Amino acid sequence: MLKRKASHLRMTLVLTAILTLVLSACGDNTATPVPATPAAATTAAKSSVAATTTAGNLDQLIAAAKQEGSLTTIALPHDWCGYGDLITNFKQKYGLQVTELNPDGSSGDEIEAIKANTQNKGPQAPDVIDVGLAFGPQAKAANLIQPYKVSTWATIPDSAKDAEGYWYGDYYGVMAMSVNTDVVKNAPAEWADLLKPEYKGKVALSGDPRTAAQAIAGVYAVALAQGGSLDNAQAGIDFFASLNKAGNFVPVIAKGATLASGETPIVLGWDYNALAAKDSLKGNPPISVVVPTKGVLAGVYVQAISAYAPHPNAAKLWMEYLYSDAGQLGWLKGYCHPIRYNDLASRNAIPADVAAKLPPAANYATAQFPTLDQYSKATALITKSWDSTVGANVK
Amino acid sequence: MKKQRFWPIMMILLGAIYFLLPLFATFEFSLRERRGEYSFDSYNYVLSDPQFRDSFVYSVALALATIVVSLILIVPTAFWVHLKLPQLRPVIEFITLLPFVIPPIVLVFGLIRIYSRPPIVLVSTPALLVAGYVVLSFPYMYRAVDTGLRAIDVRSLTEAAQSLGASWLTILFRVIFPNLRVSLLNGAFLTFAIVLGEFTMATMLNWPTFGPYLALIGQNRAYEPAALAIISFGLTWICIGLIQLLSRGSQEQGQLAGTR
Amino acid sequence: MVDKVLEKNVKQPAARPRKRKVRLEWLGVVPFLTFALLFLILPSFNLLIGSFQDETGNFTLANIGNLFQPFILNSYWLSIQVSAVTALGGVIFGFGLAYASIRGGLPSWVRGALMTFSGVASNFAGIPLAFAFIATLGRTGFITVLLKNMLGVNLYDTGFSLYTFWGLSLTYMYFQFPLMVLIIAPAIDGLKSQWREAAENLGATSFQYWRYVALPILGPALLGAGVLLFGNAFGAYATAFALTGGTLNLVPIQIGAQIRGDVLHNPNLGYALAMGMVVIMAVSIGISMLLQRRTARWIQ
Repeated sequence: MLKRKASHLRMTLVLTAILTLVLSACGDNTATPVPATPAAATTAAKSSVAATTTAGNLDQLIAAAKQEGSLTTIALPHDWCGYGDLITNFKQKYGLQVTELNPDGSSGDEIEAIKANTQNKGPQAPDVIDVGLAFGPQAKAANLIQPYKVSTWATIPDSAKDAEGYWYGDYYGVMAMSVNTDVVKNAPAEWADLLKPEYKGKVALSGDPRTAAQAIAGVYAVALAQGGSLDNAQAGIDFFASLNKAGNFVPVIAKGATLASGETPIVLGWDYNALAAKDSLKGNPPISVVVPTKGVLAGVYVQAISAYAPHPNAAKLWMEYLYSDAGQLGWLKGYCHPIRYNDLASRNAIPADVAAKLPPAANYATAQFPTLDQYSKATALITKSWDSTVGANVK
Repeated sequence: MKKQRFWPIMMILLGAIYFLLPLFATFEFSLRERRGEYSFDSYNYVLSDPQFRDSFVYSVALALATIVVSLILIVPTAFWVHLKLPQLRPVIEFITLLPFVIPPIVLVFGLIRIYSRPPIVLVSTPALLVAGYVVLSFPYMYRAVDTGLRAIDVRSLTEAAQSLGASWLTILFRVIFPNLRVSLLNGAFLTFAIVLGEFTMATMLNWPTFGPYLALIGQNRAYEPAALAIISFGLTWICIGLIQLLSRGSQEQGQLAGTR
Repeated sequence: MVDKVLEKNVKQPAARPRKRKVRLEWLGVVPFLTFALLFLILPSFNLLIGSFQDETGNFTLANIGNLFQPFILNSYWLSIQVSAVTALGGVIFGFGLAYASIRGGLPSWVRGALMTFSGVASNFAGIPLAFAFIATLGRTGFITVLLKNMLGVNLYDTGFSLYTFWGLSLTYMYFQFPLMVLIIAPAIDGLKSQWREAAENLGATSFQYWRYVALPILGPALLGAGVLLFGNAFGAYATAFALTGGTLNLVPIQIGAQIRGDVLHNPNLGYALAMGMVVIMAVSIGISMLLQRRTARWIQ
């Protein structure tokens, strides 16, 4: 009898503990204030194209954003293009909170998140997105984003923005190789070198070309060096087929850990990710970042504001921040080339120490930027052919 | 006698080798943070992070809540189907196996769509996440309970209790539950592990659980994720061990119809 | 238990329950069904609807039609193979482990340790698991290096590679074995030792005990566990993706590419693929139910 009472008591204590923990944690999430701006403001923003913001308007924007109190971002890893520092600085400068959703997310995840949260004004609904180039027009066609032209709109190259202001390029990088020089004593210099027998079982991509833009760009970049062009990525496919047949290609999705352990000692990825990984490994092992001279492919990502953003003013303020000189330099510190790079350079607005950390400017001189059409065509080709190139049934 | 124990010992030994080797390899890699020598640097990094402790505790709380709800939902249902509605068994099994084939990203977005607007707005409470976790636990919990029910003579037990005048509630809590101790425990273990590691739902619903924390550390860091894997493995093992110890207390109540 | 199994073959006099009584009995499953409806079926409903829509929301059968491309049929077949192999392996070795720890005459802490370890290992999956196996059996893995240094054997020269069907299956076993152990333990507990003694007294060999007593009794439990393991492997995504990238063309990876990726993004095709998986799960349940009825006949 007594034992039964004792175990009842224990069970009650346990349940009470659970409830307390859960309820106390409840409080944390509802701390984010529900924005005062009703849904009407969002629909209004959708129909009108916001005029360029002047200095006076900027103060109004800041005030409106502060009233909203917070911003919700999605899929922004802290090590990607220096987003960690950018977000911290933004919070400090304007006193806003930032809710960061799904840092590991892909462009597809971001679009699906907007779609799922159209009725939700809570912190699960993303305000702003940073997606691959092809997703900009896609999101616009699906009425998922709203237009906004930042004050520095004119200095963004025309080829990298939507004329109506729905999406706009934010940064770019070029395809490069991270090489673990503990394992690979003799780093390759060009894409063609990867076929050498000394690199057997050593070459990897950081994603699956059917899901990751970064991986597709790897194949596309190789195509440029192997006789293909921006219009024809077949040479890239053929190269990877030979790479696979020679046994040089490792199918593992490369990450920091596999690069460091030596399982994937040569990884194709954006130069900014390679440089960030090199920093975070701090020489253990030492990483060499190689940008080849032939086949330099640039990849652009684009920013947009969700049409259903619960905090539209905070979102616009975020864009103003990102496209200001300070924001652009923030990306540069993360090794990404901001879209206004040429404008900044022409005004000598880039500090020497920041410029010194980047790969030599000469590498970027030959960078090729695919148009949306060329990119779509290459994507279609690569994704269709990938399975017959390196699929398990091949080999 | 000794000969009879040869195969069991072999089996356990082989199992131990298979399970422990990959853990050892992970552990060895996690020690390599400092160049040229072994050190616990990566562990220091993880353990000194307040977010680690906070997210772990939060996940444990959610896991316990999930276990309780799941037990309350599944055990009576499985019992009822077993006893009275065997023709429903395929339907119930199908429903409980659905969480395997519905991609979690689809499920969470579906939950957000439905419960982010009136009449039922649940998206701002962790209850929605717990509901999602209970759904994820369905296959494991149901299968565990069903297997347990098959192993005991449910019909006789129920009839005996009924003839003694017990109500359904009494039968469930004082006859069935104690006899299903092993199944319930194992189901609880499985649920606990699932909730602790779950990532997709927690991150899209924006709750500070352990899964998103693991993913955050895993980006771009090389050695810390390995350290984290070992630490979370160990901590989860301890928690599950605690659950087992806690439940042993209730075993002394004795079983009404021992099957052992 | 044996009595119960025998009872199945004796038709019980059908006292047809009155209609009102049947309806009352269905009340017992209402809470579960309501919960499932609210939090599983309704949220997944757009999966069903979406698979019949195109990107602009119009009705179309194109997605279903696309499922029959040879490429996609191959991916279903590959997924089924991986799941079946790991389910079978998991059932056999998981059962062996559980039986050894429960009935093998080993010290009692072995059982406790195995059960709690299995609890943790059952969900050790995704990137940590993939990395653990890469660190063990990858090209620079610790076993590979050990073999090379100690025995001069280059594992990868023998044709072995972790990044293949068999490598992935080996990795999947890490969560299949523990799942089996945890699920089947109560069934093994239910095997009364008296039955074994009785069988031995009657002169049965070990094989006969298993063939005519233990396995038929355990049959339904084993089949149920098998379906669970099959489903568990069938839906697994993170581990396969982390280990083999996209080279093993499994259905969850296809779905991931369509719904989540940076590139393809045809979510409706992804939904159709998932519906295909739902159908296959239903079929596997059907097969196991059939087999369960068959094994019940073994008693005769």
